[in-house]
Amino acid sequence: MASTISRSSTHAPGPRTSGAGTSALLMSTTAKLRGRRVQLVRQATASKSVRDVLVSLAGLTGRPVLNPVGDEVGRVVDVVARLYGNEPYPPVTGLVVRVGRRRSFLAATAIGQIHADRVQLKSARMDLSEFVRRPGEVLLGRDVLDHQLVDVDGVQVNRAADLYLAPVGGRVLLVGVDVSLPTLLRRLGPKRWQTRATPDRVVDWQTVAPFAENATDGPAEVKLNASRSALHRLRPAELADLLEDLGRAERQQLLAMLDPAHAADALEEMEPAELENLLREAPPESAARIIEEMEPDEAAEALRDLQYDEREQLLTHIGDDEAAQLRELLAYPEDTAGGSMTTTLVTARREQTVGEVRAELATSAEHRTEIDAVALVTEDGLLLADIPLFDLAVAEDRTTMGEVADWLSQFTRDEAVAATARLGEVAERLVSSRASSLLVVDEERRPVGRILADDVLDYLLPARGRLHFRRFLQ
Amino acid sequence: MTVETDSATAGTVAAAAAEPGAAPTSRLARVPVLGRITRWNRWARLVALVGVAGPGLVAANAGNDAAGIATYASAGSQFVYGTLFFMVLVTFALVLVQEMAVRLGAFTGKGLGALIREQFSLRATGLALGCLLLANTGLVVSEFAGIGAGFELLGVPKWAIIPPAALLLWGLVLFGSYRYAERIFLVMSLVFFAYPIAMIMGKPHWGDVGKNLVVPHLSGDKDFILLAVALIGTTVSPYMQFYAAAGVVDRGTRTIDYPLIRADAVIGAVFACTISLTIIIATAATIGGTGPLNSAADAAKALQPVAGANAELLFAFGLIGASALAGAVVPLSASYAIGEAAGVERSVSRSFRDAPFFLSLFTAQILLGAIVAMTPIDVIQLLIGTQVLQGLITPVVLVYLLILTNRRSLLGAHANSPRYRIVATVVVVGVALMSTILLVETVLGWFGIG
Repeated sequence: MASTISRSSTHAPGPRTSGAGTSALLMSTTAKLRGRRVQLVRQATASKSVRDVLVSLAGLTGRPVLNPVGDEVGRVVDVVARLYGNEPYPPVTGLVVRVGRRRSFLAATAIGQIHADRVQLKSARMDLSEFVRRPGEVLLGRDVLDHQLVDVDGVQVNRAADLYLAPVGGRVLLVGVDVSLPTLLRRLGPKRWQTRATPDRVVDWQTVAPFAENATDGPAEVKLNASRSALHRLRPAELADLLEDLGRAERQQLLAMLDPAHAADALEEMEPAELENLLREAPPESAARIIEEMEPDEAAEALRDLQYDEREQLLTHIGDDEAAQLRELLAYPEDTAGGSMTTTLVTARREQTVGEVRAELATSAEHRTEIDAVALVTEDGLLLADIPLFDLAVAEDRTTMGEVADWLSQFTRDEAVAATARLGEVAERLVSSRASSLLVVDEERRPVGRILADDVLDYLLPARGRLHFRRFLQ
Repeated sequence: MTVETDSATAGTVAAAAAEPGAAPTSRLARVPVLGRITRWNRWARLVALVGVAGPGLVAANAGNDAAGIATYASAGSQFVYGTLFFMVLVTFALVLVQEMAVRLGAFTGKGLGALIREQFSLRATGLALGCLLLANTGLVVSEFAGIGAGFELLGVPKWAIIPPAALLLWGLVLFGSYRYAERIFLVMSLVFFAYPIAMIMGKPHWGDVGKNLVVPHLSGDKDFILLAVALIGTTVSPYMQFYAAAGVVDRGTRTIDYPLIRADAVIGAVFACTISLTIIIATAATIGGTGPLNSAADAAKALQPVAGANAELLFAFGLIGASALAGAVVPLSASYAIGEAAGVERSVSRSFRDAPFFLSLFTAQILLGAIVAMTPIDVIQLLIGTQVLQGLITPVVLVYLLILTNRRSLLGAHANSPRYRIVATVVVVGVALMSTILLVETVLGWFGIG
């Protein structure tokens, strides 16, 4: 993302801060902004009124805490916010304050106002207690600032250069994350620069998936977060890119936020080497669940890269049927049709009508990418013909499959390949038959799987040219 | 089977018929070749996994570049065998430091740049990475100076070769064919494996060698301190720790494989230092005691026992290969570490629009390196000078490394044990002490004292 484009804003409501109306405004603005990547009105956040309301977390740390009279009673060490709650924007629940040589917790209720360069207390009395992390709470300065997070809207992994707090209706909320490089320079500069918010490239907190360490300690339901649903809107390839960019602990956290089916789709898109690492680092149970959800050919491919003991460990956690199927695939050498095929097959008999087959196809929607033809077989399961979906789509409902096959046989030849055929050979056959997939058959010409053009492409193409460190080591 | 052959032939005919004028055979013929390349990569990765050429080995041996050769050769010619014991100490330091770096990478799964950003304040991060950038730019200068010196041995003036070389390296990395070029450079730099042979054929005084390896010869002489700091700088270069950690992270090795990773790092460090020692001994045996090294041609004399009259040619060949190899890797690894700390990990594309920060850093280093290398300074002095700069910066980076590996909150049970902590601290303090002495002597020298 070029730095000139400033996506989404912090929606700090500006100077007209007042109660419930404000949060309605806040919500509607966010709703409007989410889900698009546009050149955003820079003035919205860069305008002075907004900038004055925003409090920079980096600037606030180390600043004085003043009692109503204006005397300094302590210094801000960190800000505590409930990151994993039901609120769209995490509310600040208190401050970690250094009083004398002691660090203690100051609840949000005692805070009168948070300014960019000081914190004003409500009353002269100050209740200090030991800081104990409650479920869903994190220390923003220690756990979020300078750490990785996923910007779901912009689909990239960023490091939080600064966090912006804003007072909204009597509370202080964490509204946005600054991800711009100039902000880093500001923080490197003299102290008086620190408090000035520079909301140039700010990501709305609602579209951020943070990975605060220990932040997910609480009960499982508090992990539910607005950004989680946003994560599920990402395309598998985008998620794969994000996973590849994250650190080890962070990627496991992100994986845990996804449901296995969605995670499986993303993993199928990952670079083999990255996928190998991911599976090896994940707890075996969850890795096994994801593998179960993957298409069999992709799952076998992923397992093949693991070492023998790792593979066996995962297979024991996978359901018996799936495990047996995967073992069968793994038995074929990698560069043969059998080693790269998918075992997801739709078969039909001659006497079935096109309508029946279409109805059957409708039930396998989740395998849509794996099915592009229907195998016509005899009673004994021997292959008769491979009928592309196109021909099924244009045929009449009452036509039998046998008739379609007979009609097709005038133009096409049977192009099935043996499970032991080398992928190079398969590629040639794909090119010559101009098909997007080929059936794979065993010695008795029973269909055992299907090899898709993209499986062959995966094998033939050199690794994608990402600017990862790996490239420089090779 | 016959059916298949039939349909395959028919298919080929059909394809040829479908695309008249095109050459389907050439398209089909390309397929198996591509297949072989990917298979080769898998095999190479397997070898890497076993640890034959792990990141530790690669990182440590990257130290034997143009500036490294110049520094070791200079040590041999100026002090004969006098620096050998010191090199043994440096070997120990390198082993320790590389082990800490790969341990951080293996157990946190993060590069050093990211770890420093997360564990230290932003200003401390700025300091560490600023130092790394400075040191690496110095290294890039030395790599281009090395390319220049190599070509000068072949009779090509350096002003004619450095600009096109910089442009070529920059272009190769940015426009993608670097990986193939890298293999050529790598093979070229293997020439330096001639040093062990040259050492034996040069018939050094083995008794003296043995004695100097175990008996300390430490002097407060300014020249000695300067060279000692350069030796530290070239052997324990700051970028190597970043490189080794990133390599381990990138391979995503299992933590239970850590003993393997550690073995790789230790063997790599020892191996690299052994090569360095043979360079010192080989040079000492041929031109030892003739005072400071004057030119690349002097350094090439050490290879005469092997190559005779062709020594200069051989040396030039190796120098160009090693320099070109490091000339791209060094600025890339600095840009990578800084990009990681700044949070612009996502440098997916190689276009300036998508990864402006990463690629500007890379470009700036190459540009600056090439310009400084063009200045008409004596090349050997320039090479050693950049290594002194490295030596001065090394302790700064080592302090970060030490603090990080001491942190139990970060590494848990794998943090430095109390005993390890003491040893590592002594090493870091020792390295820092050498740099401080050099700094103080230099500053005093400016004021005419000492």
